[in-house]
Amino acid sequence: MTRSMIETRDLSKRYGETYAVRNLNLNVQPGRITAFLGLNGAGKSTTIRMLLGMIRPSEGGGHILGYRLEDPDENVALRKDVAFVSEDKRLYPYMTVAQMLHFTRGFFPAWRDDLAETLLRKYELPPGRKVRHLSKGMRTKLALILAIARRPKLLILDEPSEGLDPRGTEQLLETLTSECAEGTTVFFSSHQIEEVERISDQICVIHRGTLVMDAAVDELRQSWRRVDIVMPWAPKPEDFQMRGVEKIRTRGQQVSVVVSENTDGVVERAREAGANAIEVAPLNLRELFLRTIEE
Amino acid sequence: MLWYKAWLETRTRFLIALAGMTALGAWRTYNLSHMMPAWTGASYYYFVLREAHDLLNPMFVLATTLLLMGGLLQEKSNGPALFTLGLPVSRGRLMSAQIGMGLLEGIVLLAVPWAAICITVVLTGPMRPGNLAVFYAMVTASGGAVFAGVSLLASSLIEGTYTAPIVSLGVAFLCVNAPKSWAAVNPSEFMGARAWLDRSNMLTGPWPWGQAAAFLAVAAALIWTSIKVIEKRDF
Repeated sequence: MTRSMIETRDLSKRYGETYAVRNLNLNVQPGRITAFLGLNGAGKSTTIRMLLGMIRPSEGGGHILGYRLEDPDENVALRKDVAFVSEDKRLYPYMTVAQMLHFTRGFFPAWRDDLAETLLRKYELPPGRKVRHLSKGMRTKLALILAIARRPKLLILDEPSEGLDPRGTEQLLETLTSECAEGTTVFFSSHQIEEVERISDQICVIHRGTLVMDAAVDELRQSWRRVDIVMPWAPKPEDFQMRGVEKIRTRGQQVSVVVSENTDGVVERAREAGANAIEVAPLNLRELFLRTIEE
Repeated sequence: MLWYKAWLETRTRFLIALAGMTALGAWRTYNLSHMMPAWTGASYYYFVLREAHDLLNPMFVLATTLLLMGGLLQEKSNGPALFTLGLPVSRGRLMSAQIGMGLLEGIVLLAVPWAAICITVVLTGPMRPGNLAVFYAMVTASGGAVFAGVSLLASSLIEGTYTAPIVSLGVAFLCVNAPKSWAAVNPSEFMGARAWLDRSNMLTGPWPWGQAAAFLAVAAALIWTSIKVIEKRDF
């Protein structure tokens, strides 16, 4: 079995009585792009910061690239192979683009000057310009260059497309895909479900600090379905509680069931109960996400 | 590389402070030297040095306070803390570079203005003020180290661009205005050095090495506490 790049066990962060992240068991496989989805305040950024030693877990722990994330010394060592792009992409305002590159390359022996220069040209970043004079989009691109040129084994990004125009977003997605093709594992949080759907291999959904879904995108496309049923009477949710059923929503005579497997079983039960109409439809990620976090 | 960052981060503040302290110190000395009454002779220069010292002390405290503003907590409020913390270095090493650069800049902020003052004194009169100038620099460095330690601790405990320097300078203000009965433990009083000078501003006895060491120990404790605070903090 391949060793996980990120593996957490019961990872939790508590502020007073409130859990920002609770008993999180993540498992990120190498060579894949894993998206970390969740609403604002769901616990995405807290999780990422715990992985990188910026926030100390209240309970639980885990490993990144085999290093224990809760050990400060091991956490320093793991950051040699992990690159992180934060949500706000803030860099040192008093440095120029060239100085940022010069500064960062000093920490990473595997730094690739050629790659940094290629990306600098591709993203049209002026080397002599101070960071404080860069737009957020340009800062994002610079942060991405600083992350990629160090040749990380694992690239962690928090809302990477935030602040990018459509062209910048396209360049970002291209870059992430090509990095993954070259062997870098990518783990990123996002709100942009369309982007997630386009490039991700695996999707983890966090809601109120708890992991509510961890599935491969192919599996979601192949097996997850929405079954809309119209019954001659008003059904109760328990009527359709069975294997593979993830969510049930009833309204009057209508019932909508989200299934991860066993679609045929649900359809069969509806038929046996005398359903007036049954419609099976594939779920897109947006719908799936919204259904998953539904209370 | 961390020293490179610390230098780029502080160089504007440092160069402004250095230029200001050197120019003002030399200008004050030059001006006072020209006002020397004929009947005072060489001892007048002790008064000149005393005046220069009194001018440099608050400037030194202000400069070190502003130079030590920075670090991870201030970066947190300004933004780039997450980038810094993503680098493969411990928080202790990050702070060591900041403290080391502050120490180097502090030494230069003492040495260069005093060198300029001494040169001005020598050029305008008959005096060789080496010993007294070193004494003044020593008391400024020891007492000033406590204020530097307070600034570092404030910038490690208090988030916000302006709050930490205001608190640090507030502590300095309280020390300047503290009751005379606290003189033995007051770094501001120590920097003033009046207890070791006679009425003509000449040294009266042995140098206060013990008290200087005690203030340096307090500064070291404040710096150590700052590092521990940052090491334990969530970002």
